[in-house]
Amino acid sequence: MSKKTSKVLAFATGVALILAACGGDDGDSGSEASTPASEAPATEAPAADCGPDVLEGGAGGAEGDAAMKITFDISPDAVWQDGCPITVADFQCSVNATLNTPGSISTTGYDKIISIEAGESSKQVVVTFNAVYAPYKLLFGGLIQASAVADCNDISGDFASLNQVSGREWMMESFSPDQLVYVPNPNYWGDAPTVERVVAVPFADFDTQSAALLAGEVDFIYPQFFAGISDALSDANVTSKIDFGGDYEGFYLQADPARGGPFSDPIFREAFAKSIDRDAVFEQIYIPLSEGKGKLLNCGPIVPGQYCDEAFADQFDPEGAVALLEANGWTKNGEGYWAKDGNAPTIRWIINTGNTRRENTQAFLIPLLQAAGFNVVADNCDAACYFQQRLPALDYDMAMYISTAPPDPAYLVSSFTCAQIPSEANSQQGQNSTGWCNEEASALLEKSDVTVDEAERAQLVKDALKLMAGDYVMLPLFQFPKSGFWRTDRLAGPVDAELNNYRAFNNFSKWEDVDGDGQIVLGAEQWPECLNPVTECANSSWMVWLTAFPILPNVWDTTNDGKLVITNLVTKEPVVEIL
Amino acid sequence: MFRFVMRRLMWALPMTLIITFVVYVALRVGTDPLASYLRVNQRASEKKIQQYIETNGLYEGFGGYVRGYLQWLQGFVTFDWPRSIKGSREVWPEFRDAMFNTLRLGLTATFLGILIGLSFGIFVALKPGGLRDATVSTSSFVAISTPPYVSALLLQLLFAVYWSKWFGQSLLPTSGVYPPGHRGFDLVLMIKHMILPVTVVVIQVVAVYARYMRASLLEVLNSEYMRTARSKGISERRVLVRHALRNALIPIVTVAAIDIGAILGGLIITERIFSYPGLGDFFLGAYDNGDFPQMMPWMFFFTLVVIAFNLLADVLYAVLDPRIRLG
Repeated sequence: MSKKTSKVLAFATGVALILAACGGDDGDSGSEASTPASEAPATEAPAADCGPDVLEGGAGGAEGDAAMKITFDISPDAVWQDGCPITVADFQCSVNATLNTPGSISTTGYDKIISIEAGESSKQVVVTFNAVYAPYKLLFGGLIQASAVADCNDISGDFASLNQVSGREWMMESFSPDQLVYVPNPNYWGDAPTVERVVAVPFADFDTQSAALLAGEVDFIYPQFFAGISDALSDANVTSKIDFGGDYEGFYLQADPARGGPFSDPIFREAFAKSIDRDAVFEQIYIPLSEGKGKLLNCGPIVPGQYCDEAFADQFDPEGAVALLEANGWTKNGEGYWAKDGNAPTIRWIINTGNTRRENTQAFLIPLLQAAGFNVVADNCDAACYFQQRLPALDYDMAMYISTAPPDPAYLVSSFTCAQIPSEANSQQGQNSTGWCNEEASALLEKSDVTVDEAERAQLVKDALKLMAGDYVMLPLFQFPKSGFWRTDRLAGPVDAELNNYRAFNNFSKWEDVDGDGQIVLGAEQWPECLNPVTECANSSWMVWLTAFPILPNVWDTTNDGKLVITNLVTKEPVVEIL
Repeated sequence: MFRFVMRRLMWALPMTLIITFVVYVALRVGTDPLASYLRVNQRASEKKIQQYIETNGLYEGFGGYVRGYLQWLQGFVTFDWPRSIKGSREVWPEFRDAMFNTLRLGLTATFLGILIGLSFGIFVALKPGGLRDATVSTSSFVAISTPPYVSALLLQLLFAVYWSKWFGQSLLPTSGVYPPGHRGFDLVLMIKHMILPVTVVVIQVVAVYARYMRASLLEVLNSEYMRTARSKGISERRVLVRHALRNALIPIVTVAAIDIGAILGGLIITERIFSYPGLGDFFLGAYDNGDFPQMMPWMFFFTLVVIAFNLLADVLYAVLDPRIRLG
């Protein structure tokens, strides 16, 4: 070997070794220079400074007379990951953060709190509301440790790279764009997890995550259901559970007059909705999918149950649509599209690219709607763009997506009332992404929020949904199945026990690690881009499933059959007093 | 030679500044960083918006663009990078890890691909028109025509999914840089995880360079000076190595050096299919959000890569053909 060649080889070897040793190692949590992940130090001993048990400025601040009071008795054993006790200060901090942090995703319910004070001790929390708030069990769903943040009134800068707070089974050891690692919380006061670690890794699409499951690189995946999914994941070592839960899919029409879209005209919207043959869509798209198990959803934005009275049935009426348009001055132009004053609106239908079912729905429905005189065009983008940008910005005319509904219908207030349309007036904090405003329906829904009687509350919700059906802002399609697939040679235990739960697969602390590698590996279809549980980072199911539910303590948990039950954070069912 | 390299380097610096300024302006105009920020942070307060504008130097007018670019450049070289618009994450650690992952994957694949491709090219050029020429040429054609996502999925199915069904466990991993949950540096595991993605890229590169080399070498072998060399009685091996290969490599070296930048930038699909956390994935995420603080370093990096490898091409060309230095 010549001297020159040796030099070149030595240089190349050096470069190769530097490159090999540097940079991302897939979320490794233990290496030194090479780790891309943010890491948490192991904390077992109680911290020296746990902060005050009660915050000086208190919390809440709603005006008015006390109308409802709830008293929580925090378990004396309940502590944070650093050993600090969970106290009234943490309840106060969580409420202040939710109410005051710029970009807070929802203040619903918290905005009725007048005060939060200590009762007999700092382990007893007394929350006073200025109105009766029926869905109170949805509050305090993810407490924030007061001593972990600099300012409870603005936590927008916290948890940028890691959320070290934990009052549940797990502690976040590391988080990166490639990997999330949980280890057991040594100070958790309940049953300890059965495995040493849980690792979640992202996959861009179904094909890559299914290959990883079949190859044994991940133990569990929770993919969105589609026809043929069982066949695609057929393997002797893979089993599954498919069931119907609180998920439903529907069409949504952008009704906000401020956006000026075609459906801000109620006549045009009604005619359009009446031109959609939901039965045909169901037969074409959902019958093959459900393998005969499902039926067309007629409840509106809610799954069958005590709040459903099929108000959205029989809306398909093409002749009625034509008559309605013609009676209101619409005529078909040279291209065959409905036009008024020379303007034929273009309807931008958005779905997330790569979702075969939704693409098939567009392929099926767009020609039919165009033939009916509506110039519908696909205006799609990927999941991140769709769900995190376009939808919250109300930047669409027609949308199709699945909602994951919690057991309580309170989400209807935040999703469909006038006050919740994002606007300057509410500092863009609303979650009503359809822009639908019906004052009467809003009043009914808001009243349902302050009605504790179950039957009366159900009737109010049904009445509001009837008004929604009459406004044609949403067309329900299908109660969507949930599906979990896992490797039986790697996992055992109650893997299938909670897959219908709003909290999804969050019972993984009880799963058993059969292959003995000391870890459970979850494949994630969507990946959280950030960790802040209060800002709009939290506007995604996968974000809360992966990075909020496993660590943030809460008063009530949802169950697999759609109930809300207290957790071990409290010693007994909180006492509710109507004043 | 030293003066030649220095002259080229002197040119590279202003060229880098000009190109990155143009890229900066194009990004500002094309993506509207402020609109993207507001789209992602719809509930941002006026104070936060103002903070974002100042941190990123999003000033208006030509003077504002120049000022903003200089502010960005200063922050960039001092590693005082603005945070991402979504979740306010630090950009440098994620960029650094993605960059090394991409460099590792891209350079390995390029090096192996060019080496194997040139070998095939030489192999078939020595006996053109025969069975091996036809085999290599046809295979090259098939390989070039096979999109990376097809070869990637086929390789995943064969070496991971079906291998696992047949033999109980997969032969090669389908995703990541390391197995999930791995701690620490492990060269063997890292290489194992690179095999499939590298193979996907290598298939394309080999096919291209086998054809380049074949054509180039055939042209040289049929030239007058080769006949002259042989007529002088120089051994066939010496003729081939000292005269034919050296001359045949001149155009290929130029193309290869320029190609490396394109290969590195073109890893997006391969990285996505193999869930490989490189710059491709980094860019897609940044682009989806219109994340100016993330996109600018990406753009700058690839501008630098392209300029650096062009420079390398110039230098190598000058080494192989001394007449260039005099030009």
